[in-house]
Parts: sequence; C-alpha cells; structure tokens
Amino acid sequence: MKTVAVIFGGRSTEHDVSVITALASVIKPLELSKKVAVEAVFISKDGSWYWGDEFKDINLYQSGKLADALAKKPKAHLDLNGGFTLLKKTKVGGRLQRKHIDVVFPAMHGTHGEDGELMGILQMANVPFVGCGMAASSIAMDKVLSKLIVEQHGIPTPKMQFISKFEYEKNKKTFVKAVNAKLKYPVFVKPAHLGSSIGITRVSDKKDLENALEVALHYDNKVLVEESVPNLIEVTLPIMGNEEVTPALLEQPLLKADDFFDFETKYMQGGKKGKKGGKGARGAQGYSNLPADIPKALYEKAVTTGVSTYKAVGCEGIARIDMLINSKTKEVYFNEINPLPGSLYAHNWQQAGVSNVDLVVKLTELAQQRWEKQRQANTTFSTSYLKQF
Amino acid sequence: MRRILRWYLPGLPAAIVYMLQSTEYDPKAYLNWLKTAKNITAVAKRRTLDKTPVARMLLLFVRLLIGFVVAIGLLAVWVGESEDAPGAILLGLLAIVGSPFISALGVLVAVWLGQILIIGPKIRRESQIAERIFAAHNGTTIAVAGSYGKTSMKELLRTVLSEGLSVAATPANKNVALAHAQFSKTLTGNEDILVIEYGEGRPGDVKAFAQVTHPDIGVVTGLAPAHLDQYGTLQAAAQDILSVSEFVKPENLYLNNDSTLLNEHIGSVNGVGYSQAGCNDWKVSNVKQSVEGLSFVLTKGKKKLHLKSKLVGGHHVGPLAFAAYLADSLGLTKAQIEAGVAKTEPFEHRMQPYQLNGAWVIDDTYNGNFEGVKAGLRLLAELNAQRKVYVTPGLVDQGDESPKIHEQIGQAIAEANIQQVYLMKNSVTDYIQTGLASAGFNGELQVIDDPLDFYTNLGLQVAAGDIVLMQNDWTDNYS
Repeated sequence: MKTVAVIFGGRSTEHDVSVITALASVIKPLELSKKVAVEAVFISKDGSWYWGDEFKDINLYQSGKLADALAKKPKAHLDLNGGFTLLKKTKVGGRLQRKHIDVVFPAMHGTHGEDGELMGILQMANVPFVGCGMAASSIAMDKVLSKLIVEQHGIPTPKMQFISKFEYEKNKKTFVKAVNAKLKYPVFVKPAHLGSSIGITRVSDKKDLENALEVALHYDNKVLVEESVPNLIEVTLPIMGNEEVTPALLEQPLLKADDFFDFETKYMQGGKKGKKGGKGARGAQGYSNLPADIPKALYEKAVTTGVSTYKAVGCEGIARIDMLINSKTKEVYFNEINPLPGSLYAHNWQQAGVSNVDLVVKLTELAQQRWEKQRQANTTFSTSYLKQF
Repeated sequence: MRRILRWYLPGLPAAIVYMLQSTEYDPKAYLNWLKTAKNITAVAKRRTLDKTPVARMLLLFVRLLIGFVVAIGLLAVWVGESEDAPGAILLGLLAIVGSPFISALGVLVAVWLGQILIIGPKIRRESQIAERIFAAHNGTTIAVAGSYGKTSMKELLRTVLSEGLSVAATPANKNVALAHAQFSKTLTGNEDILVIEYGEGRPGDVKAFAQVTHPDIGVVTGLAPAHLDQYGTLQAAAQDILSVSEFVKPENLYLNNDSTLLNEHIGSVNGVGYSQAGCNDWKVSNVKQSVEGLSFVLTKGKKKLHLKSKLVGGHHVGPLAFAAYLADSLGLTKAQIEAGVAKTEPFEHRMQPYQLNGAWVIDDTYNGNFEGVKAGLRLLAELNAQRKVYVTPGLVDQGDESPKIHEQIGQAIAEANIQQVYLMKNSVTDYIQTGLASAGFNGELQVIDDPLDFYTNLGLQVAAGDIVLMQNDWTDNYS
C-alpha cells in the first residue's frame, strides 16, 4: 500500500481553511478508500513542520490548546535524498523515526503553499504530488501574471492596472491618475497573491480608491485594479486532469449583482451574504446554483473558456477557474485561478458524479501518472565541459 | 491478559447494564455476549446506555454488589490473618479478584427476580384488564402477524382505512403484550378499526396475543428465518405465527402469497391470499416503480383504482393491494382509497429513500430477514443508476441456517448487477464473501472494520448517479 503525505496549514491567511480542506476533504476520504496509508503533515502558523496521526483530529485545532500541544511535540524534518522522507524524533529514547512518502497531497491554500513554493520543494525531491506544478501554481496565484498569460492566449479578461508596493509608494499619484484615466468605475482593488477574497475592495467612487489600495497593499506587495463586469453573473468551474481534462459542473454563487464573494461570506457565514436561505446547493462556499442557471450556449462557452484557461496556464491535477459573465453581451471573462480549491470543491464534483473518495484517489493517480511521464524525460546529459575548464 | 484486566476498569458497571439493556434483559443473549466480548468496557459502539429507571436501579445494584463482594473479601482476608486461617485469606482474595465477574453474573439474579416479582405479574395483570377492554370493544380488530413487514402493513392499513373510518393502531413497533395492554388503555371505544401488531419472539407468543386482543381479521405478512434462537426451527416459528388462524374465520385470514416460505409452511391453514398479482378478485396491472415511489392499477370487473404510493419497492404492491381491497370491503369509496394509498410513505429505516450529495440512499436498515434482503436487491437490480452500491452487515438471529442464508445473500448480491459492495465485518462476512465468489461477483468489494465511521462518512463515498441500498442492522450484542 502506498503512503500519501497530506501537507496542510502553513504561514498563510488561509491556514484554517487549509486545515478543513485537509481533514474533511482529503485525509478522511483517502483513508476511507482503503487504497493508501495516510500521513498527516501539519505546518503551524510560524512555519514549523509536524507529522503524526494526532494531526488528523479536528479537536486538536478547535480546542484552543494547539500551541500548548505543539510545544510538546517533536518537529518534523525532511530528507530529500532519493525521494521525500519524513523524519522526527520518537518520544521514547529520541530514536529517529522515518517514513518514506510515495505521493504528496498538498492541501495548502494561499501563500507559502499554494503559490508554488511547496511544489518547488516537491519537484526537487522528485516525488509525485497532487495538483499544479510549481510554475502553474506561481502563475495561478499571481492575479496579474495569470491575467497577462490568458490574454496572450486570446481569452478575455477585465481590463486592469497593477503596481508594486515599492512603485506605489514612489508614484502613488501617477498610478491613481492612470487608473482613473484607463479604467471605468466601479473597479475592484485586489492584492495580487491572496486567495479567499482577502483584502479585496469594490470601489465605486474615485475618492475611495487610495484607501482600497492601502488595504490591499497591507496584505501584499503587488496589487491590481480591475474593471468590474456589468450585468454580472459570477461562475466557477472545477477541472481535473493532466493533458486530458474533465470539467465538473459550472457553478454559480447566488449573490446580488453588486456583491462579491469575500472571505466573510465564503467561510464565516456559510456563503449566505445578506440571505436567509435560498434554493440551490450548499457547497464549501455556501449557496449556489449547481449547475449554473444560464442558457446552454453560454454555459458551454464558459466551460470552454475555463478549460482553455486551465491549459493556457499549464494547470495539472486539479484547479478551479473563476469567470465573470456579462449577461447582456454574453461575454465570458477570465477572473482568476485557484490551483487548490477550498475543500477541493468536492460538493461540485459529487454533483458531477465523482464522490469525494473517488476524487482524491483519482488525484493521487494523476500525480503518479505525471511523475511517471516526467521520469521518462532526460534532464541530464554528458558533456566535456568540465574537462575543458 | 489485557482482556481480563479490562474487567477492572471503572466503566464495567455501565457496560454490564448496557449489555443487559441491549439484549432486552434476555439472560441467554446477555451471557453469550459476555462470553464473546473482547473488550468488556468498550461494548457500546452503536449507542450509549439509556438511563431508564430500571437501568439506573441495575447500575446501582451492580456497583453495590461489587462493593459488597470486595468488602466480604477484605473481611475474609482480615479474619484469615487474625485467626491464622490461610483458606479464609485465599477465599477473600478470590472474592476481591473475582468481584467484577461475580457481579456480572450476580446481576442476572436481580433481573430474574425483577421478572418474577415485578414484570411477570404486571404483564399478567395488565393483560387481564386489556382482554376485557378488547372483548368489549365494538370495532373490527385486525391482527397483523409475520416474521417481517408487520409495522409496514399496520401503518399502511392505518393510513388507508383512516380516509373513511376511525382507526387506532399500536404505536411504532410496540408490539408485545405490555404494549398491547397500554394501547388498550388509549382506546375510547368509538373506534371503527383497531390494528394490532403481534411481535412474536418465542413459541406461544401469537396465541397469547390473540387470546387477549380477540382479532376479527388476521393478516400474516410473511415468513422468514427470524428469532430462530428462540424458536429453534422455521416450522416452529410458522406454527406460532399461523396460530392466529385459530381465532379468525378462514375468509377473514389474509396470507401473503409472495412469501415463498409462508407458502411452504402453510400446512392445512386456509385463508385468502394477497400478492403482487392482486388480492382475492382484484387484479394488479401496470406496475411502475422508481426510487421515489410506485404506482399500479387495481382492477375488479369495471372497478378500477389508480394507486400511487411513496413506498419504495415492488414488494409493497401486495400489501397495498390488500389494504385497498380491505378498504373497499369496509365501504370506502374509490376516491378515499386512492387518497389513502397516496398518503402511504416509507417508514423510518424501512426502504426510506433520501438524497445525499446527489446520490439516492435507500435506508432499509430495520430490515432483518432474508425475504427483505431479496426484495431490496430486486429493487436495486431494477432501478437505473450510474453506480449501484449495496451495504450490509448481514442478518442476525439466523440460528444454524446462518451460513447457508448468508451464502445465499452473497449470491443474490452478485446476481443484482451491483458495482460496489460494502460488508460490515462480523461473524457472517466470510459466508457472504463465499456466496459472492461462488456467483462470480465482479464488482468492487470492501470489508469495513468500523461501521460507525463508515455510516458517518457515507456522504464522502457517494455522488450523483449513485443508488445506495443500506440493509440490516448489526447491534453491539452481536459484535
């Protein structure tokens, strides 16, 4: 039986979301599959690594005594020689306990995990891992970069202006002027790298722009200002696969036209922003129409746009593509990519006919298939360069 | 060694009382569980101790008994030391060490005394009062007996007949002598119909129930191996169930002809048959079924009833046809009968469909007999689904027939074109697997060690397009 290490937590604003994704949507289904052994690898908010079965228990995180518990536990270390091996000292005698990992399942959200950093380590370790590779993850988690790339592939995306924190502090007025000149209000101000809608502000009035930029720059050193899409229908599409991809169902969060899905709505209110219920499915991110309640042709156009985006960015394993639709013009715009959707968007896959257990099993298989394929490619060759030196 | 040491843990008294409660204070079943329990203080897996007054009393008794035996032991050691009597010391030590075991057995004395001095006389007293109430009642009394399908039959008779008559029925699955007595106290005397479920468990039960309740109409819903630990043979169970025929006229005795075993054991008993083909001169046609219910047409000459029910499974056609026939015989109109049948719906844990993460789950966990298993598998085979999933721990109380029955269950599963089977691991799992293998099952099979974990996380295993049939229950005392 192969051993899968699920890595979660991390130094991210989405640390807690990652814990839920890992425990509820990855570890438990993997264990229920009875096809693999599962090791839980927890990264604390200060970046320390821990490993052990006790990290599979939600009570540890809900008890309020996590810090005390961590203080008593040995930290885990990594050995990247010949693959990916976890190490930690045992309680009795301090003997070094080792566990060779066959597949890694990153269940990290946001910075230092979903943005390619972890994938870089895993690629260096030459271990199969679930989800997008380092490059695709980095692109996906940079809203500016991903928009620039999809634009190059002819996929429409709302107009934007972006700036780094350093540049903004030097040329604040110039940037604000450029935004006011080139973009139509209302606009969205977003940190370039954060997920779960953290730090995003909708600005309807020019006078509020600077304030919104300050908020976004509080979270990130690069921000973008993006035109909003009128007559908005927001949709999202989970996709799975490497070269051959399978889309799940196009999902439509049930929000008012002038609303957007912020962190509070997504995770703290169960998706019910100003709502007392409503029809539609209740997923990881609250109430939504599943599948999206839009005309068939528009549905198919959005799915095609989603799949094209997935491929353009080089996503593998799994990702979720968020799109914006102008219901009057029927134009579909790329909004952003989520290389590791919260809770894997399992609720959507279930409605598409893929159980949570089948989903995680399939994802580990895809990870191994990709690794097998990469293994066959030569990355070194002999030269006489050193002799000539 | 660890198994023995667990007897000294503080949770022992609660575990003992839980085991008694779970086995319905049946000494034989309790002792059997006591003998086989691997971890005596971890027997409560499916539920927790229900702290009824009786349970509290027994809990106190067990604790006091342990204390008493330990005190006697200490006294014996003390006397032995002061009188220099090694025998007394040894006996004392034995009493101290054996106190948990003595208490686990000693509690049966309290149970026995309770049954002799309190429960037994109470049942006799209450039954005498009930007998007078039922004898004086002017309504038509319908007795529902059988190894399975009793509660369903009772409920659908209540639902259909209530459209035009005043009907009272025994509540839920309360179907033994004391429940009948309590039911009699709720009657006003103005009811047109009384529907009484006979919950047989040992030889002579049905006859005793009939002597108290004086039935006018008898319904035998079917025969299957159940309570064989008490009956010994299926013939003995059939004899008890069919003893209801001694109390009603043959034209008022209705027998489920769909029950193969009932047909085989009917002997010289005469009655009117009902089945999926119809009842008496009413004929069934145009049966349609889905996971959300069934419909059919019931015809007698020019009379035609278009019946729709939310009940799931073709095996309900016979009982529904009988209920409609009886309603017609009792003077209900076509509209009343159709409206009554339309109100019939699944009962909790009996072919009860619900949606879970896009999948349909049919909860039939209260089913406890082979006929029910076959009916469920037939339904699963007939329904359209992307993936068919079957979940069962197997059947309890199957006596010596258990290996054979479970091999047949395995074969029936294999023949139902099911893609995924989950078996809850227990003593019959191997027999089901043997049956599966012998019938060439080619789907996926998973044996589950932790049923509670499985059922809790069922939602993670299913998706839209799946139909999951969960049958049977395997309570802690059979683990």
